[in-house]
Amino acid sequence: MKPALNRQLPSWTHLRLAAALCVGVSALAMLPEGASAQDSTLVIARDIDINSLDPSRAWCDTCQIYMSNVYETLIGLDKDNKTLKPRLATKWEANADQSKFTFTLDPGAKFADGTPVEAKDVKWSMERLENIKGGASYMMDSVKSIDAKDAHTVVVTLSGPNSEFLNILTAPYTGVVNSKVASANGAIAAPGADTADKAESWFMQHSAGSGAYELVDYKPGEELRFKANPHYDRTKVGVADIVIKQTKDSVTQAQQLESGNVDVAMQIDPDTAKTIQADTVSVETIPSYNFLYVALSPGAKDGGKLLTKEVREAIGLALDYDGIIDFTVGGAGRKIASPIPNGFPGTDGLTLPQQNLEKAKELMKKAGHAEGFELNDAFPNMNVYGVDMSLLNQKIQQDLAKINIKVKLTPIEFSVWRDRVKSEGIALTTLFFAPDYYGSAQYVQYFGMIEGSPWWNRAGGKRDASFTNPQTETVLTKALSASEAQKDGIYKQLAQQMIDDRIIIPVVSPDLVLAHGKNITGVRYSACCNLMMDEIGRQ
Amino acid sequence: MTRYILRRLISIPLLLLGIVSIAFFISHTTQGDPLISIIGDRQMDNPDAVAAAKARWGLDKGLPEQYVIYLKNLVTGDLGTSFRTKQPVARDLLVRLPATLELVIAAMLVGSIAGIVLGVIAARFRDTMIDHIARLAALMGSSTPVFWSGLILLYIFSVVLGWLPGPGRFDARAVAPETVTGFLTIDSLLAGDFTAFGQAIYHLLLPAAVLGWTVMGIVSRLVRASMLDVLSQDYIVAARARGAGELRVLLNHALRNALVPTLTILGFTFAYLITGAVLTETIFAWPGIGSYAVDATRNLDYPAIIGVTIIGGSAFLISNLLTDIAYAFADPRIRLS
Amino acid sequence: MTDTAPPTVAPTVSRSRRLPAWLKLPVLIGGLITIFWILAALTVDSWPLYDPIEMVGRRLSPPSAEHWFGIDALGRDVLTRTLHGARFSLLMSCAVIASAVAVGSLLGAIAGYAGGFIDGLIMRLVDITLSFPPILLAMAVTAAMGPGLRNAAIAMIIVWWPAYARLMRGQVLSVKSREHVEAATASGAGHVRTLVTHILPLTWSPILVNATMDFGQVVLLAASLSFIGLGASPPTPEWGSMISEGAVHFYQWWICAGPGLAILSVVLGFNFLGDGLRDYLDPRSR
Repeated sequence: MKPALNRQLPSWTHLRLAAALCVGVSALAMLPEGASAQDSTLVIARDIDINSLDPSRAWCDTCQIYMSNVYETLIGLDKDNKTLKPRLATKWEANADQSKFTFTLDPGAKFADGTPVEAKDVKWSMERLENIKGGASYMMDSVKSIDAKDAHTVVVTLSGPNSEFLNILTAPYTGVVNSKVASANGAIAAPGADTADKAESWFMQHSAGSGAYELVDYKPGEELRFKANPHYDRTKVGVADIVIKQTKDSVTQAQQLESGNVDVAMQIDPDTAKTIQADTVSVETIPSYNFLYVALSPGAKDGGKLLTKEVREAIGLALDYDGIIDFTVGGAGRKIASPIPNGFPGTDGLTLPQQNLEKAKELMKKAGHAEGFELNDAFPNMNVYGVDMSLLNQKIQQDLAKINIKVKLTPIEFSVWRDRVKSEGIALTTLFFAPDYYGSAQYVQYFGMIEGSPWWNRAGGKRDASFTNPQTETVLTKALSASEAQKDGIYKQLAQQMIDDRIIIPVVSPDLVLAHGKNITGVRYSACCNLMMDEIGRQ
Repeated sequence: MTRYILRRLISIPLLLLGIVSIAFFISHTTQGDPLISIIGDRQMDNPDAVAAAKARWGLDKGLPEQYVIYLKNLVTGDLGTSFRTKQPVARDLLVRLPATLELVIAAMLVGSIAGIVLGVIAARFRDTMIDHIARLAALMGSSTPVFWSGLILLYIFSVVLGWLPGPGRFDARAVAPETVTGFLTIDSLLAGDFTAFGQAIYHLLLPAAVLGWTVMGIVSRLVRASMLDVLSQDYIVAARARGAGELRVLLNHALRNALVPTLTILGFTFAYLITGAVLTETIFAWPGIGSYAVDATRNLDYPAIIGVTIIGGSAFLISNLLTDIAYAFADPRIRLS
Repeated sequence: MTDTAPPTVAPTVSRSRRLPAWLKLPVLIGGLITIFWILAALTVDSWPLYDPIEMVGRRLSPPSAEHWFGIDALGRDVLTRTLHGARFSLLMSCAVIASAVAVGSLLGAIAGYAGGFIDGLIMRLVDITLSFPPILLAMAVTAAMGPGLRNAAIAMIIVWWPAYARLMRGQVLSVKSREHVEAATASGAGHVRTLVTHILPLTWSPILVNATMDFGQVVLLAASLSFIGLGASPPTPEWGSMISEGAVHFYQWWICAGPGLAILSVVLGFNFLGDGLRDYLDPRSR
């Protein structure tokens, strides 16, 4: 027995010691803070959702911010969120049918290591984006060849006309990488890079761009830290050190902002924004280009057959759009007519959706479903743009019950959702979309019922071709070679087609809450880049 | 005794292999496709991209082959690469382990101290109102869902009263001390930065109290029982008869002896702490293994899920072993069963 | 020795034979709480409550005379949903415990009775399963099978059966060598018959005590899984998922107050009851 006792007692002694220490220390904790507080660092609260920091693999909202500030694109998007402006390219020219583009690079642009940005880096970066086959590689789909004419001239030839190509180049994922540094760390741009490239884990800790900032450190689940790029001189950077702190939910972000622990909070939802009282905080609610939509898949194996054109129309009419905006974002959101964000080309003058239960019931009767039916709704269980998807779907369930459609809800992880929508399809589901650049073609290519488009596939186009809209493809081709003046009219036609398809029914475009300390300036929302950190300053 | 310990030690590698295998095969039967977190939603329609990603992450091979590769790598300490963080899982776990350990140790401290105090008081005032209240408080500890008590306490102490900080391990604005051990408390002391140390403790208080409450429940029950046992012994009666002060009798004579069986039980509390840590870390945005596990589960990040399960399993296994050995020392009869 | 139930190895305490008043009170309270929730689970549909799924008031309104526990983010009455939640939590926990006891006891009894290779095989499986921290195993299994009440229940059965297997095996081993069992075997009774008629009846009481004590823990784990999004799916009024909905609307504390108190009272009730049951069935453990 004795040895056992000896073995036990020391740990108890430690315990007592530690206890004493603990008590003594709690007194210390009450001391005013200061010494270690680094006041010059700008702290941004955000739920960090990074899938990769490799420029050719990154594909997420936080990646968008990261890419925008660490790497530079050829073309920038001005503050009006519409006009293109020079960035790495000081000027550009397109041929008559918009299939060949010539860019002249800024001779003064330098990477963070001091080496100049040259045409070979542009070529390398675009090729790598294409060949890694990451999330954003589709942006290079129309590119046939890229030539570095001389150190400062790049010529891009497309496989066909694409009037939106310049807009695509404002998307942060097309940022230019220092090819020499990246190659030295295992990066490959040539075909086959998708398996041969070994640079991703290096990119998770290092950046190699010419943007206003460079990466200091990324701690998954904790923080993403930046410092100003000493060789950047396009604009004067307001704050030299910036850190994005992982802050999961809206309430905590608001609390941290009110207590002055953070300077900017990026994902405060409108419900929470209303509770913010501190007069040191500025809260502004602005329209966003993000939206959430209901997708109906007539080709879904389970229940898709029920979704005839009439039933889809009835569902569209049964939804209580105002109620949805009220419930999911506390009224801080806008209705949206077609799956193209309000304010993008072709959206002016479209009729906004309105609930009409009488007409919906009539349509259900006409379709032979007056008694209704059961419908499966599996949706990704997450919170996006301040909208709790589970809440949204429960509201949809309540609404559709009014026309006797009994919706069975199954919240699933996004990965599971993706797998299911790809294999057997989901009769009714909800999803979200945020733009990568200003331009409407990306929406038609994604949501239009064109054979082979992402949503044509998901809606089950291969099993049931009844909802294919051959017109959409023809009109889109026309749009891609159209001049600026014609664009609006043609995209409006496309938007109306997508409304009439009744496959994608947008329900709400949530407002964005810009919340930051009153002493912080220059926080704005960019359609391509989300947050431009170099514009932020402190008074 | 030696044979008993030896037998238990020999069984460990086998059990570990069992843990690894079960963790591996369970995670690989998942419904969803983890590729989405690797190549993104849109590229999933592109068969070339899917095939390339599969090849790159070794998912194109058959399950048995993947299993053999996994075991081979495991022997060299390689737990694979996380789909989500793109870093070796072993490195991720190593970075996050100190946060969890710091929380768990703090919770054990808070829990055992509170439990001992509560247990002693309950035993001293046996069968009175004080005893009942103490017992109820202890029982509440093991009956309250930590994810709920965490939320409620955060609301009260952080939002309403503003006494304690919100979720997180450190003030957002503060600069953490240089990482040496990964324990913020120790690192700040090593750096001589008392403000940082105070902050680390300040942030630790609430989660440690929430998690420690469950430990308190277990410890106080045991202390009470063994105190009652000890208090009726002859030498206590003798000490009292000699006119020793009540506090002296309680602490010096009774508690010292009552603690031995209690200490052996601490290993048991580990199970509670692991369960609690997963949930507490989620509530308090604590960058430890628990929140890593939840994130991994949500993203079908197999390598991370298996890694966490193996680490959690081994820690659990070892703490159980230590508890059993301590038990065997304390009560030789146990060995028979 | 289960890994999750509070350790029941309290040293023997010398005490008077008369049951003190405080011992009866908790058991009484535990019993009342338990009866209340069982009643709620069985008959909640006929209680004068609101609809648990429908919108019945202004969203996010605080507790009031009409809505004692307030209104949640979708305009539903929190009290109604909390009471309806009993059905899911209790039914699921019952199913989990019953299945775990059935599977565990059966395998444990076979292991104890048969001995040798079968015993070794079953008990190694028990050892490995018990080596997992319960929540991690449950998380891995639910993540693999996909979230949902049914899959969460299966995961929890996988977590819980080994404890009963171990308990049952110990019981069978201690009973097997008793005279009447040996006599039965000697008189040529079949294995199954011996096991069922002579051994099992002697082993049920510790199983029952443990099951009662574990019940609360099962309720807790079920709610935890739902809380992290692996259990019940909306709009099911399951307590864990209600709390996770409430966590999003943190300032509206009432949304998670109701379901939290419900979990607390159920677990407390069963713990009280289990304590009493143990004292009654197995006085030696006091």
